[in-house]
Amino acid sequence: MKIGLTRRRALLAGLALPAFAPGLAEAAQSIPIGTLTPLTGAGGAYGPSMAKVAKAVVDEINAAGGVLGRRLALTSEDSETNPDAGVKAAHKLIDINHVVAICGTWASAVTTAVAPVCWQSKTMLFTVSGADSITLLPHHGYIIRTQPNSHLQAVSVADFMAARGIKSFYSLSVQSPFATSVYQQMGAELATKGGKALGDTIYDGSKTSFRTEVEKAVATKPELIFLNSYAPDLAILLRNIYQAGFSGPRFTPGYAATPKLIASLPKPVTDGLISYAPSPDPGSPGYKRVKQILGTEPDPYSAQIYDHVSLAALAMAQGKAATSQAIHDNVRAVGNPNGVAVTDAVAGLKAIAAGHTINYSGASGPCKFNAIGDILSSKFRFDLVRNGKSTLLTIS
Amino acid sequence: MLAYLVQMASFAAITALMALGLDLIWGLGGMANLGLAGSAAVGAYAAALLGVKLGVAWPLAWLAAALLAAGSGAILAGLTARLRGDYLAIVTLGFAEVMQLAASNEVWLTGGTGGIPGVPAPWRGSLHGLAFDAAFAALAWGLVVVAALLLARLGAAPFGRVLRAIREDDTVAAVAGKRVLRFKVRAFAAGSALVGLAGALGAALEGFVAPDSFSALLTLTVVLALCAGGPGGVWGALLGGVLVTALTEATRFAADALPAVSAVQAAALRQGMIALALILILHLRPAGILPERPRAIPKELR
Amino acid sequence: MIAIAQAIVNGVLAGAALAVPAIAFTTIFAVLRFANFAVAGFATLGAYGGWLVNTRLGVPAVPALLGACVAGGAAAVIVDEAALKGLRRRIRPGEAALAPAIASVAATLLLENVARFLFGNDPQGYDLPVFRDWHIGALAVGPQQLADAAIALVAMTALFLFLGFTRAGRTMRAVADNPGLAALKGIDAARVGRIATFAAGALAGLGGMLIGFDTSLDPLLGFRVMLSVFAAAVVGGLGSIPGAVAGAFVVGLGEEMATLVVDPAYRTAVGFAAILIVLSLRPAGLFGERTA
Repeated sequence: MKIGLTRRRALLAGLALPAFAPGLAEAAQSIPIGTLTPLTGAGGAYGPSMAKVAKAVVDEINAAGGVLGRRLALTSEDSETNPDAGVKAAHKLIDINHVVAICGTWASAVTTAVAPVCWQSKTMLFTVSGADSITLLPHHGYIIRTQPNSHLQAVSVADFMAARGIKSFYSLSVQSPFATSVYQQMGAELATKGGKALGDTIYDGSKTSFRTEVEKAVATKPELIFLNSYAPDLAILLRNIYQAGFSGPRFTPGYAATPKLIASLPKPVTDGLISYAPSPDPGSPGYKRVKQILGTEPDPYSAQIYDHVSLAALAMAQGKAATSQAIHDNVRAVGNPNGVAVTDAVAGLKAIAAGHTINYSGASGPCKFNAIGDILSSKFRFDLVRNGKSTLLTIS
Repeated sequence: MLAYLVQMASFAAITALMALGLDLIWGLGGMANLGLAGSAAVGAYAAALLGVKLGVAWPLAWLAAALLAAGSGAILAGLTARLRGDYLAIVTLGFAEVMQLAASNEVWLTGGTGGIPGVPAPWRGSLHGLAFDAAFAALAWGLVVVAALLLARLGAAPFGRVLRAIREDDTVAAVAGKRVLRFKVRAFAAGSALVGLAGALGAALEGFVAPDSFSALLTLTVVLALCAGGPGGVWGALLGGVLVTALTEATRFAADALPAVSAVQAAALRQGMIALALILILHLRPAGILPERPRAIPKELR
Repeated sequence: MIAIAQAIVNGVLAGAALAVPAIAFTTIFAVLRFANFAVAGFATLGAYGGWLVNTRLGVPAVPALLGACVAGGAAAVIVDEAALKGLRRRIRPGEAALAPAIASVAATLLLENVARFLFGNDPQGYDLPVFRDWHIGALAVGPQQLADAAIALVAMTALFLFLGFTRAGRTMRAVADNPGLAALKGIDAARVGRIATFAAGALAGLGGMLIGFDTSLDPLLGFRVMLSVFAAAVVGGLGSIPGAVAGAFVVGLGEEMATLVVDPAYRTAVGFAAILIVLSLRPAGLFGERTA
């Protein structure tokens, strides 16, 4: 009987070990950190390069000696662009890998679903989701969002349009939590400068042609068409707009006009497309570093996850504890305006080790957050596509 | 570790409950319903809206969720019950798609793609951490067992026997004087009620509901659960719910163990493994792991 | 008035694009008597096959369509032999073949992930020039869409000629019409099944690449049009090739016309409504012979 029990236990241990032992053994010395990006499903265009950038940052930090003398151990899970799948993956990251932070959640529904799992277990959540409602959740400081909220985006874009003498626009938007709010805020902002919103159409992003929607937009004779899209549907819209003979400016968020998407489209189709994204100063080393990792101009989400991982590492070093609590308490302290200016995690870790306070400004811009975790971004970059290549127009 | 297992037990219960619902519709009634995600959405949104907007207590909200899902299932069945299997599969697939579209676009009601946060759950607020998770898992499995026992009795009762007879040959059943359409609609409605209840449970467990959750992949997962466990009987659906949850979670650890591939390749392998598992089970255990026991011809039809 | 005429033009062109994969789906149903949902996956792999030929080998896009046909056809035959054939054998005559249908849904997911593993999720484009619309009176027509429709028409004609005038085509029809009788006559049903599967996979692959011309290529390409394609085949009557063509135009026109009256976000729902209306009047679809 006794032998039987022991044997059974040994068998159980044998079954469990290959799956869990590496994680447990490593957890003793290294600091586990996780990414939860959309590797499959509708957000699939974004997650892979985000995971790649996160891995590169972790490798760099480890090569330079880690955080507080301990290596970072990265686990990348797939949110499948699905709230249920995201929640399950978050439980795994938190309860099995014991991560100090989850980085890179995309899609507002996924982030909203994952957020309670994080704040209840006091795990930091860094997100790129844009819906305003996310930081209004009762998250007790456990959410940091690097994507500017819709109001910041709308105002900045409307100001840029007004500065270029644009008086009217039509909005084509994929169904998203901020589709209507961005349109309304842009319209209101432009109205204060004498411009006018001509209308908006919300489309189903999973269709393969938007000719009818585009014809409706063009019929209002807008000076500019605003495409509040994601990459897969933007590809189709740009084609349809070109076909419809519209050659005025088209405006779109930088996360829709990814460099890979621009490269995949015929040059005449993308010519004159203007994209906007939250931005660091021109020539920022962090931005250049992400460019080097990816081999292309960074998309905004990849730049942001670079900052997620860096901020987590720096905040732990600052708080002298490899815990989520340390990140929670110090994520704002590493952006001290009076500190030494640093643009990547390795330089920042060295400065902190030398006893300095630091002012981290990363690949996506200055990383300053308000009390509810929203980024206080002051700058946006505007890029113009000419001849298949994005060139920086202005940072404002 | 324990917290994770307890959480997954709740998710397994939800899958098992959906598999039971599908078992009634498909296993017993022989109707190929690929619209489960739609019924789950109806239940989840009903519970979420009643709980969040009207402050209805959870037992009532869940009951309403089941009833609304049953109602929508009955309407769908009434429109489609005459169709043969392949047609029905595609129409029900369309039903799920339309439910997802409606959830995404009727922003005034559903909050659109941003979803509805703050869905109440039993004991949320009074219990915390592991205690809450364990209580929820116990409640979910309690509901599953009750549903399974009811379904087992239903299967053995005249209703179940007639349903099986219709599944085998509805002409014979019709000739024997059974009102085929009425039986089919009832089975479809009752099965949809269980799926809707499972949707309500899922909304409560996560405290959140959004359209993205109700994709075709959800339906595929439940079909996999039922096929793996064994359609027609009751315990197969339960086993299937556990197995599928274990499989989808185990693939995470398998993917972690592959350092040579990129994150997106690991994710592709993981989903590929789940798809492959379904194909293999259909081949190796066509009647599932717990196959339905063959029964004598029901006396009602003799 | 112009809006209606324009919606009709758009709908007809959209219908032509849907028709090719819908024929693929219905052809497999006609010969092998099951719903092979993996046509969505064949379309995706075909689109990638054509893309390799077009961008890696530098073959112009239109001849590269042959690459899409080969890739789609090969994917279809491999999936059928490895995953579906064994399940089909167990189906009793007259019974709806649900096990292979379910397996084919899983196969779609598998193929999507094969594409993802090999090519990643990044959007890819064909090496193909893009044209402004032609304006005929107040109506706008895309030259590429016209060309796509013409290619679809050529493919459909080729299929009709194959079925009508070749030995393999005639035996295929014989199997589709009456498998029992065909077996008595000594027709090798397995071989006919393979030919039908390859032909359907080739059509799906071609259809996938044509969709890719107007969009961008990623692993979800086939999945996006799947529901409209199935709707077209069901509306027309499963197993009927003329039905699939008619169904494709019903769904294509329906989705475009609907944007005049309902929110464009609900376009997909129109396909579903079309199915319900048609099937409640004719449970086996417009051209379907077999009833319940």
